[in-house]
Amino acid sequence: MQVESTPTQANRGLWREMVSGWLSVLTRPNQETFYNQKRNVGYLKTILGLGFLGLVVGLVALIIKPSILTIGKRNIFLDLALVILYVEAGFLIINLLIFLIAKAFRGEGKFIEQYYLLSLVSVPLGIIFSVLIFGGDKLGLTFSAILNPLSLIGVIIILVIISALYGFLMVLFAVQTSHNMKANKALSTLGLILAGWGVYAVVSMIVAQEDNSITELWDFIARQWARGFLQHDLLGHFWLVFFSVAVAVLIGVVIGILITLPPTRPSTTHLFFFIPLAIFSFLWAASSGIFGEATAAGIDSTVRSWDVALRGGGGFFESLLIIIGAILRKPAAIGMIGIGVTLILYLLLLAGERASDLTLYIAGIILTIPSIALFGVLIKPLGIGAFNAAFALILYAQLPILRNTYIGIREVQPEIVEAGRGMGMTDLQLLLQVKLPLAVPVIMTGVRVSIVMLVGIAAIAAYIGNDTLGEYIFSGIQRAQDVRSIAGAVVVAILALLVDFLLGWIQNRLTPVGLREG
Amino acid sequence: MIKFENVSKVYSGSSSPAVNSLSFTVPTGDICTLVGPSGCGKTTSLKMVNRLIEPSSGAIFVLDERKELVNVLDVNPIQLRRKIGYVIQQIGLFPHRTIYENIATVPKLLKWEDKRTRKRAEELLEMTSMPLEFLDRYPHELSGGQRQRIGVARAMAVDPPVMLMDEPFGAIDPINRNLLQNEFLRLQQEIKKTILFVTHDIDEAIKMSDKICILNVGGILEQFDNPANILAHPKNEFVENFVGADRALKQLNLVRVEEVMDPDPPLLTTKQSAEEALEIMRKQDLRSIYVVDEERKLRGYVTRRLLSDKSGLVDEFIQPYQIVIQLSTTLRDAFSEMLVLDYSHVCVVDSQLRVCGLLTTEMIQKTISDSKISGDEEG
Repeated sequence: MQVESTPTQANRGLWREMVSGWLSVLTRPNQETFYNQKRNVGYLKTILGLGFLGLVVGLVALIIKPSILTIGKRNIFLDLALVILYVEAGFLIINLLIFLIAKAFRGEGKFIEQYYLLSLVSVPLGIIFSVLIFGGDKLGLTFSAILNPLSLIGVIIILVIISALYGFLMVLFAVQTSHNMKANKALSTLGLILAGWGVYAVVSMIVAQEDNSITELWDFIARQWARGFLQHDLLGHFWLVFFSVAVAVLIGVVIGILITLPPTRPSTTHLFFFIPLAIFSFLWAASSGIFGEATAAGIDSTVRSWDVALRGGGGFFESLLIIIGAILRKPAAIGMIGIGVTLILYLLLLAGERASDLTLYIAGIILTIPSIALFGVLIKPLGIGAFNAAFALILYAQLPILRNTYIGIREVQPEIVEAGRGMGMTDLQLLLQVKLPLAVPVIMTGVRVSIVMLVGIAAIAAYIGNDTLGEYIFSGIQRAQDVRSIAGAVVVAILALLVDFLLGWIQNRLTPVGLREG
Repeated sequence: MIKFENVSKVYSGSSSPAVNSLSFTVPTGDICTLVGPSGCGKTTSLKMVNRLIEPSSGAIFVLDERKELVNVLDVNPIQLRRKIGYVIQQIGLFPHRTIYENIATVPKLLKWEDKRTRKRAEELLEMTSMPLEFLDRYPHELSGGQRQRIGVARAMAVDPPVMLMDEPFGAIDPINRNLLQNEFLRLQQEIKKTILFVTHDIDEAIKMSDKICILNVGGILEQFDNPANILAHPKNEFVENFVGADRALKQLNLVRVEEVMDPDPPLLTTKQSAEEALEIMRKQDLRSIYVVDEERKLRGYVTRRLLSDKSGLVDEFIQPYQIVIQLSTTLRDAFSEMLVLDYSHVCVVDSQLRVCGLLTTEMIQKTISDSKISGDEEG
């Protein structure tokens, strides 16, 4: 460090540091850059840098679109000063917000660190943005121009999107570095800011009764809600997914466990499998009329009366009861599926880990079948409606669940298993007390993945007559009413996010305390 | 007691045996180390005792809690394992269970009452000198050394007469390893378990064992004896090479400082005068001398040069001491510390820092030249 330097030299050093900071953010986009820049923090530099940004933005606006600067009217200098002031104040406010939220997420950084590091991102990218956006505007930038990426405007939009993504990543790094946070917490911090801004924007549009596509969407959703149609489809959607996942977890976890075990030799205890096999075979045979038409008709009228009983009322659970009723009405199919599942489970018990590759392979193949095709193929044996949809959804959910169960159990450290075995745990005790608890976080991740996936696929189940949110999407397409389709899609997305969030919380509860992160 | 009788193990798909007709007996209360190069079947031999690996032929007997010798092959392996303590290198604590639940694993399998288990767990933590609040912690909150102690405590939960330890200190840094070894030896004085101990480190074997079983590749027993005999009379070239050329030095591991030191060295007390001190040193031709207080606790030392032409009490001229050696230290450790600091003599103290004797390099040299092996080495 120089002991005596003239003010001009000091200022020149200041500028050089700032410019090299901006350039390093642009040229070396990684966290290390930000860690290095942590040494150079300073309020004066930050404020000067933003002043520079404001000046450039103001000048660009003056050159390209002077009409946007309305306050100063004819006074260019007043305009420029106001732009600089806005930039400085806006940046400070956003920084304070980020800082508060980051602190709530247990961020460790000082304000000045975050303030300076974010300015290193904002100044160079802000300049690029202002040129791109004002330039695009000059060239007639509109929303629909996105559809034509070959035009000059399309190119500009792509540039804007790329630099926006780049900027977001850099802001993420800056927040992460200045607060010594993990990436997911920094992401949550920024996510909250963006979500807050989004909600504010939408609410202000609705309150001001602006006439645009967002308020139109809101009006549509509010109308559908008031008439009760939306709740009906939402519940139908929810229960279809819930039921399918519940069954899929039962089957998938068992299969996942079976394919981690060593092969078993057939033994007399396996006669246990004969019980469900006999029940399902009898069910299938009786309801297919093998024991006479009278028996089949009897079973049919019984299950019909059950179905009718289930359909009456139920309120919140109505959709669930309808699904169960629809399945009960096909006793022959239940029998067939039961026989199949029992046989598969028994074969997997015999084969054990030798069948793991094949099982995962088949589960993977199932996932590649387009859902519309699978629903269509299943119409013949299962008819349209809930049974068909639930069966397909259960099939789709298998891969993530059984794969994660398999991996979760396999990845339990071998020494932990050896210690357990060496202390005299039986295989079952080892599985239930050691392997499964340690695999729970991995299994739950699989369950989460499959649920979010099913929320999406369940929309398509509307195609075969299920009351799910897909009804809005399909009817919107048929009637060429964009707003219907978008409303359906938006609600499906919100449902998926909510369910995922809820499951994240449950996953954390289920994770053994000793494995949770601090 | 653990008794191997012609025990062999041939893995399926392999023509040569991993363990070849192994026979030896570990007396009750002794630590026996299985040591040898990798591929010598030491871990296989260990795991055959609790039947994690089934022997191909032969028989292994252990003394059960009713003091009866039983063939492990006649017992249900699950029941057998619950009654044999087992410690492995990676410890294998259950990360999802608290320390208490970890220690309670076998008691729970044996359906002990909660009260009894809790009492035993507290007792074990005291024995391994760990604070009781650890019981409610999780393994990831403990250091490696602490986890290893818990691993040992867990293995001793139901007080099994026999324990198997598979490189229990292998994954721990050298300083802590030494500490844990000493601690464990002290513990063993109290608990007197019959222990089969696997290591690849001959130094650890010499330090820890009452009996050493040196195995060669293919599970062939080369020598089974106590450490002193193995060092002094290696049976063949393999053992000699395995033990190493420095076995004279290694023998120092078997001798404790107290056996060699001068138990009545010249000492000064703080109350003596400088003139008196000079007189004593001149008489005995010493350049320096240690000073103790009334309770014989070490205070430091004074030198002849420091005191020359001075008057007053010795107390005023005491220099702080650099190192002391504990009574139970092995001669090898003491020697190594003296070499590092370039000292020709050090003070030997007990745990209260009371002076018990003096150790000089000459005494160590004499020990080496007295023992028979140094002659062998030269010849």
